[in-house]
Amino acid sequence: MPTIIAVDASLSMLRPVPGRNEHTYLSLATKGIQHLLDNFTAAGKLEHLALISYTTTAELKVDFTRDYDQIRQAVKKIETVDKACLLTMLKTSVSIMSTWGAQNLLQLVVFTDCGLGFGTTSISGFLETYAGKEADPEYAWLRTVANYNLNFICLGLHSDQYFTRALVMYQQLLDAALLKGQLFMTPVKNPETNEATSTPSHKSELGRTAVFELIERLCETSYKSTEVTLKCGSYFRMEAPVLLWPPTTPYEQPAVLGVEAEVRQIDQRIDVCGFLALSDIGSPATLSRHWVLPKVEREKTSRRSAGMAAVAKPAKLTLDTSNPNYELERLEQDIREFYAKDPKDTEESGDDADVTIVLKHSSGPQTEQQKECLCVLLHGALKMENMAALVRVGEKWYGFMYAFTDAKKKSNLMLNILPPGSNVIPWLGDLELLGFTEDLAPGETASFPVRADRRSYSQSSVVWIRQASLQSDVQKVLRHAKKMPDKTQHFYKELNRIRRAALALGFVELLEALAMLLEKECAHLTLNGASNECTVQLQHAATELRKTSNRDIKSTIVPHQKGGVPDASSSAAVASTAGYMY
Amino acid sequence: MFERNQKTIFVLDHTRYFSIASEEYISMDFLKGKPSAHSSAGGSSQFSKSLWTCACESSIEYCRVVWDLFPGKKHVRFIVSDTAAHIVNTWSASTQNMSHVMNAMVMVGVPSRSMPQSSDYSVIHGLRAAIEALAEPTDEQSQAMASGVPDDLILNEGRVICITSARDNTSMKSLEDIFNTVLIQQNVLSATPPKKGLGINHCHLVILNIVPLGIDSMVTNRNLLEISPLLDVEIHTVGAPDISYKLTHLILDHYDLASTTVTNIPMKEEQNANSSANYDVEILHSRRAHSITCGPDFSLPTSIKQGATYETVTLKWCTPRGCGSADLQPCLGQFLVTPVDVTSRPSSCLINFLLNGRSVLLEMPRKTGSKATSHMLSARGGEIFIHSLCITRSCMDEAPSIADGPGGRVNDYRTSELGQLMKMSRMVPLKSRDPAAPNLPRRLPRYFPLTTTSTVLFHLQRHLSWLPHFLHLLVKEMDKQDEVRCQQHIHELYKSASRGDVLPFTHTNGARLKPHKAKDQYRLLYRELEQLIQLNASTVHHKNLLESLQTLRAAYGDAPSKSEAGTANLRSFTESPLSPERLEAMSNVSISSSTNSNSLLKASKRRMSNCGTRSLLDIISSAERSQSNKRLDFSGRICTPIGQIAKLYPDFGNKEKDAAAAAAASGVGVAPKE
Repeated sequence: MPTIIAVDASLSMLRPVPGRNEHTYLSLATKGIQHLLDNFTAAGKLEHLALISYTTTAELKVDFTRDYDQIRQAVKKIETVDKACLLTMLKTSVSIMSTWGAQNLLQLVVFTDCGLGFGTTSISGFLETYAGKEADPEYAWLRTVANYNLNFICLGLHSDQYFTRALVMYQQLLDAALLKGQLFMTPVKNPETNEATSTPSHKSELGRTAVFELIERLCETSYKSTEVTLKCGSYFRMEAPVLLWPPTTPYEQPAVLGVEAEVRQIDQRIDVCGFLALSDIGSPATLSRHWVLPKVEREKTSRRSAGMAAVAKPAKLTLDTSNPNYELERLEQDIREFYAKDPKDTEESGDDADVTIVLKHSSGPQTEQQKECLCVLLHGALKMENMAALVRVGEKWYGFMYAFTDAKKKSNLMLNILPPGSNVIPWLGDLELLGFTEDLAPGETASFPVRADRRSYSQSSVVWIRQASLQSDVQKVLRHAKKMPDKTQHFYKELNRIRRAALALGFVELLEALAMLLEKECAHLTLNGASNECTVQLQHAATELRKTSNRDIKSTIVPHQKGGVPDASSSAAVASTAGYMY
Repeated sequence: MFERNQKTIFVLDHTRYFSIASEEYISMDFLKGKPSAHSSAGGSSQFSKSLWTCACESSIEYCRVVWDLFPGKKHVRFIVSDTAAHIVNTWSASTQNMSHVMNAMVMVGVPSRSMPQSSDYSVIHGLRAAIEALAEPTDEQSQAMASGVPDDLILNEGRVICITSARDNTSMKSLEDIFNTVLIQQNVLSATPPKKGLGINHCHLVILNIVPLGIDSMVTNRNLLEISPLLDVEIHTVGAPDISYKLTHLILDHYDLASTTVTNIPMKEEQNANSSANYDVEILHSRRAHSITCGPDFSLPTSIKQGATYETVTLKWCTPRGCGSADLQPCLGQFLVTPVDVTSRPSSCLINFLLNGRSVLLEMPRKTGSKATSHMLSARGGEIFIHSLCITRSCMDEAPSIADGPGGRVNDYRTSELGQLMKMSRMVPLKSRDPAAPNLPRRLPRYFPLTTTSTVLFHLQRHLSWLPHFLHLLVKEMDKQDEVRCQQHIHELYKSASRGDVLPFTHTNGARLKPHKAKDQYRLLYRELEQLIQLNASTVHHKNLLESLQTLRAAYGDAPSKSEAGTANLRSFTESPLSPERLEAMSNVSISSSTNSNSLLKASKRRMSNCGTRSLLDIISSAERSQSNKRLDFSGRICTPIGQIAKLYPDFGNKEKDAAAAAAASGVGVAPKE
């Protein structure tokens, strides 16, 4: 989810936070950004981030990157200039976001003390001019902003009336311009007594911890990966919790024939149904693509204390005896221990340094990278076999997982979610009807692709709208005519094709014209000493073309038989004399 | 679902006027391929299509495009009108194809020139029939009606394209009025019982007034006009030879199509195979193929072809590098295509190239001057698709490497084994699916450790030649003979354990196993075997094997009873082989892999049971008892792990449970399908 972090750099941000002399609003914003970056780093540094600071103008400090250090450095260098102008920033964000396609969910995180601005560039000023001009092309950019998800980290005290009024105004802006957004602010304490009793001497609710809480809430609402269980077969190890990143978006299914429109989410459990060769799947249209990442149980403790906790933990994992798979887990653990070098042994025998390294490894806690993981196994096997796993993500809703390798040869497990429905890839047929070769009836064969009816371009269609195509069809007949008797069969085949098409289109003029052409050709070939067979066939064909009795769908012109019926030869003779009349 | 373009009816005027020539002459010499300059002589050496042929071929071309792009979804009917209406095809799928229409048209034939001019001959008959046809439900509409969807939800709209020739505006007006009146009458008929057909919600009437080339028409063109809430009418006067161009233009709006011209297709010259020239091929497809890729920083380049009245998007052919239709492209939408000129040589070259399994990327320039492959053409299952590709930046562009993620540093995954299973579980399209057929979870092994370091069995499988066979026996439907073989293998194992053989592990870096580990290896092996059999238990034979394994484990001091002391006893017993005779009688099967007789097996089994706290007599008698008690156990008990409650009719329940579980997971309560 590409995100622009926007920092309000108006002079008001330099105010010290009341009751907290060590903080200015800007320094709190900086701390908040650092904490946000910490969160993204912990989640795998997947988000693309850009940094802008805004005042009367908005300035791009860091363009989209996954190198968060760049942003950390740039944040420190932000300098305040003049007044805040939120709308300029929003307008600028449109052009910064423009490189991203509509398939990405775009987000903005704005750190601000919720200044309203001054004069025409103020939010109230904007709302006044905007009213009634929603469709004005001048405001077309707002339609683009409406696709973004806006997150405002509102730094302020609820006792500050200027701030609370500003919050109302911000919400009005979101509503008026139909923007998707959320204002994050510190919780209102003692709502009933808030106005009257809040004393400035009391340490204010806004501080480092409060900002961190806002960031946690932001991550929870706007940056949470979709959590599902991936299941492949019945063995308990072949089932694992995974994260889908970026998170899946709900699918809005339109109303069809009395079935109400509904918003669909993918199931909590996605089952592998079977496997397909990637070459059979091809490149079907997909609703969305997601990385399938193993879910790691994160300790609630902060990173600093995490190392301590791990040391304190026993090397041996404690297993839960109530777990239905306890026996299997214990067995696996025992086997692993069996394979691992026994620390006591090595100590006793006092072997070389090599062993002590191994010892450190095996006795220390397993890092996440060293724990076996279904995703990695599945990825490896899919990559090796060039296959994809068909997964069911919902009722009549499918997707497929495969090993995706990017331009830098980095590879990971990817899930392509197909549009809902079981008949979404024409060449695979109904996905509900996919089975295994054992399910085939005896003697039945099946393979991909599922073949469709022949389309016009794979039949020998006749279209004579352009004269050139009529010409090429006629020339084909004439070419075969010259090569008779070798090409007699081809000649009649093409002749009948033309004749049938001409009859369908009521193009009887062509039949006569073709008869004439054949006679001319016959005369020409006779002069050049062509074989007797050739001239006989041409005469025969010309006669047959003219017969009205042949203007029937069932009739076919067949080659003239040697020594055939005398009737036919006489008609050929008549035709030949007729031919010379032209 | 039921859009206006799902029903289209062509009404073709088949009156005498249509037998006259379109006056666009085709020279005979041209047909022979001679240069046209040579054939200035007119008269008999040229001929012309009739108005009928023009109307016929252009309307058939229209439905060729429709059926290529929307097979089975959009329907086109033909009605021919002279003294009465002649129905060429119906809404049913069997008549909605080119060959049916072409064959039927042969029977219609060209209007006779000798027909008397009479008021009986009129296009009105056809228009009336067209309205009746609109009231007839299509298969989809019938299905919706049958499934209980209320009639008012089944939208019934359609389009009538009438190719006729009217004298002047007045006669055109009367045509319009009659149509409107009949439409209203039809809706009255549909509304009053007995209901005759579906009510028509809306109709779009397109009148093409055609005249021979060079003739001026008294009828004025008119854009879409709403005659009534039910009826919109537009009128176009066209010269007969241009009617196809007109229809190609109209079809774009009728079906929301767009045109793409693939440019710079390198092709060998027909005459000179050594040189190649670049050609263009124009194709039609859904407009969404263009709109779906559009982004703010680029727009697709368009141009207007000579003689055309619509825009086409020009995309450049990229010569494919590999045989690349297997490459998975990020695709936003795929749409069927059809060439505008299906018979031209460039078109058929492109089509054959694609149908042979190659795919072509199409390139467009970006504003920045760089290029992007915005589309791909490829054929699958005999159909050609245009794929709209994602060309904007995507957050998926750079992959987080799986090796850096959790589990990424484990290097002994059983990848090739899973790969084998994948190949065996490759899916194929079935005509019908038996819901009872095993699904993937029932096909994949019930015991499948992910890595070789979490299994002894599958690790050793590569080094012990008999093990794969043994494991195979264990997981399939077992019969008596299989059980005997398995018992033998178990016995072999026991023997090598008692000899203290070191199993051929490769993980120990060549270091020798410590003595207590040598014992562990068999314990783990037994335990794993036990788990494997338990997970696969489906017959009484499995149950038997499980029993003997458990005895073996007990003998090895690894039973739930944990009688370590037994091992010492065991050794002493193995030194003196007994020879039980009963087993020989039972298993007179030929055995290939085992070197020892079955008797040993039984003997060892007894000996092993001995290691507990029981006396020898107890053991022998219990062994005898178990032999004689070998009737089939209750199958539920066999399949159920110890300590759990057996389930009645497990197969019967499984599917429903699966379906129910899936339904519950999706949050929608649905009955299992079928």
